[in-house]
Amino acid sequence: MPPRLPILPAVRCCRAALETQSASSPLVSLFAALSVQTRSASILANLAENKGAHHKRIRVGRGPSSGYGKTSGRGHKGQKQHGKVAARWQGGQTPLIISHGRKGFVNLRAPEMSIVNLDRLQAWIDAGRIDPTKKITPRELIKSGIIGGSIKDGIKLLARGDSTLRTPVDIIVSRASGSAIEAVERLGGKIVTRYFTKESMRRLLVGKSVITDQPLPVGPEHVESVLEKARNGPFYYRLPDPTSREDIEYYRDPAHRGYLSPSLKPGESPSLYFKVPGETKKAFTSKAKQQEQEEEDRLF
Amino acid sequence: MAGNGVRGLNEALRTLGLSSQTCKSQVPSLCKRSMATVASTPNITRSVAEPWQPLSTVPVTVFSFPSLEPRRVESWSTKHLHLPLRRDILHLAVVYEGDSHRQGTANSKTRYEVHGSHRKLMRQKGNGKARRGSRQSPLLRGGGKTFGPKPRDFSTSLNKKVYDLAWRTALSYRYRRGELVVAEDGLELPLPDEFLALVESGRLRGVGMEESTALEDGFVRRYMREVMQGLQWGADHGRTTFITGDRRPNLFTSLDVAGEEGRALEMEDVDVKDLLETGRIVVERGALKEMIKRHQSDLVSNIFVDGKRQKGPAIAQPLVMP
Repeated sequence: MPPRLPILPAVRCCRAALETQSASSPLVSLFAALSVQTRSASILANLAENKGAHHKRIRVGRGPSSGYGKTSGRGHKGQKQHGKVAARWQGGQTPLIISHGRKGFVNLRAPEMSIVNLDRLQAWIDAGRIDPTKKITPRELIKSGIIGGSIKDGIKLLARGDSTLRTPVDIIVSRASGSAIEAVERLGGKIVTRYFTKESMRRLLVGKSVITDQPLPVGPEHVESVLEKARNGPFYYRLPDPTSREDIEYYRDPAHRGYLSPSLKPGESPSLYFKVPGETKKAFTSKAKQQEQEEEDRLF
Repeated sequence: MAGNGVRGLNEALRTLGLSSQTCKSQVPSLCKRSMATVASTPNITRSVAEPWQPLSTVPVTVFSFPSLEPRRVESWSTKHLHLPLRRDILHLAVVYEGDSHRQGTANSKTRYEVHGSHRKLMRQKGNGKARRGSRQSPLLRGGGKTFGPKPRDFSTSLNKKVYDLAWRTALSYRYRRGELVVAEDGLELPLPDEFLALVESGRLRGVGMEESTALEDGFVRRYMREVMQGLQWGADHGRTTFITGDRRPNLFTSLDVAGEEGRALEMEDVDVKDLLETGRIVVERGALKEMIKRHQSDLVSNIFVDGKRQKGPAIAQPLVMP
């Protein structure tokens, strides 16, 4: 409906019409005159919730007519009337927590992973929310909403519904379970695990970093090339590499498809502490040489 | 029930009132209507062959402000300006706004916050008086308040999609009743040049009343009343809310002075209750567009499917241009 505007010609026109019609229907002109006087009442006074949308609170112990007056709906006598038993009360038996104590601990420093399961990944691909023809990186996973709104310390791929996966994907995540790796590679897909932090994933999301599955180059021979690249192109934050022993070992392991595993020499163990069994050679030195070495190593 | 009857009568009266503003050619047909509630026979049946096509757009005329000349006609989506009236949704939104507008700063002191020593007032026994432990006892004058108010937050929560639906429902309600006047961008009240010249020269402030704006205000009040009465928008017709993108000095100060004729709001300050309050809403086209844009979370999606996302219906499409 267009706005009702008091346009002078229209009013004049109507008045003329009403004057001619007044003899035949005086009521209409009467009501027309009345309607000019109608007050515009606001709708605000007539707003209400739908019936049944709001439950009225039961007020217990407020007189007999309420139906919950005398005993407040709790019956007569006993524990049920008077109180309740603490949820931890075990009927007088020595609590198990006292007789056996607490076990284990919660590792508050452990990185918290966002979980992506294979059936969910396939559902996202089917719905067109993830493009399987392109590389699937944390940026794509976060933007598609598959891990929800919050970014955690990493993304772990798990194998729930691995039989439902039917699209080969090229995916890069923080961690992956053994069966998830198997399911992805069975279909001819590619999976790489890479170290991410919360901050680095945020930077990937806003385009301040570029995804790569190569570790940072280490050594003086790389300085020039890296500087050259930084001077020429736009600035991008580099993705960090792991520094803790556990993380380094995880990404050095080919079984995890870690991005550091190509740097392993043939037969080298991913562990930083333990060598591959059978590899170690016993180096026998003479007693005299051993003593000489000890003399050298001695500080004071 | 009685309320419904009165409302029905009002509607009937308003319909007849409308007829008094329409043109001559339509009057005779309307006059044939009798007073009794006659069940008319509208086309309520429809052939199965022709599919039902609900309205998808409604026309909106954009007017120039003081002259109210139609400048162009646009088509707006029914999901923006022609939603069904949902009193429950409007109620939720208005209550939500009212809750969040509560200041919640009432504060009183408990007996532990009232200043003073906590020395025992008198001996426990032998005074022939009631025992008194401290001067701050709630039983004594000047003592603390037992369960007094403390600053708190009264705001409640409402789902954003519900709130946005309420916002567009309020605009739709106005549109259906013909109470939504869309004006061209740059909505401003033209004040007479002579008046502005007088204000500029300071001659409306006589000797000894340089600080007083009584003369200026008096003129503005009368001028505003004339303008609004001429448009049938003033106090006699339920006042008018003007909504603009930013503050317009003439319009805002004039309506501050002549508040009985209407009110002016910047778009940022508008909420659902403001849209429902006065007799009609006069809104700049740009401001209306922005309001719809900000309150369509139930129509747009942030899920990308094949690289695209559902952006909701287009906000305004030109139908007739100058």
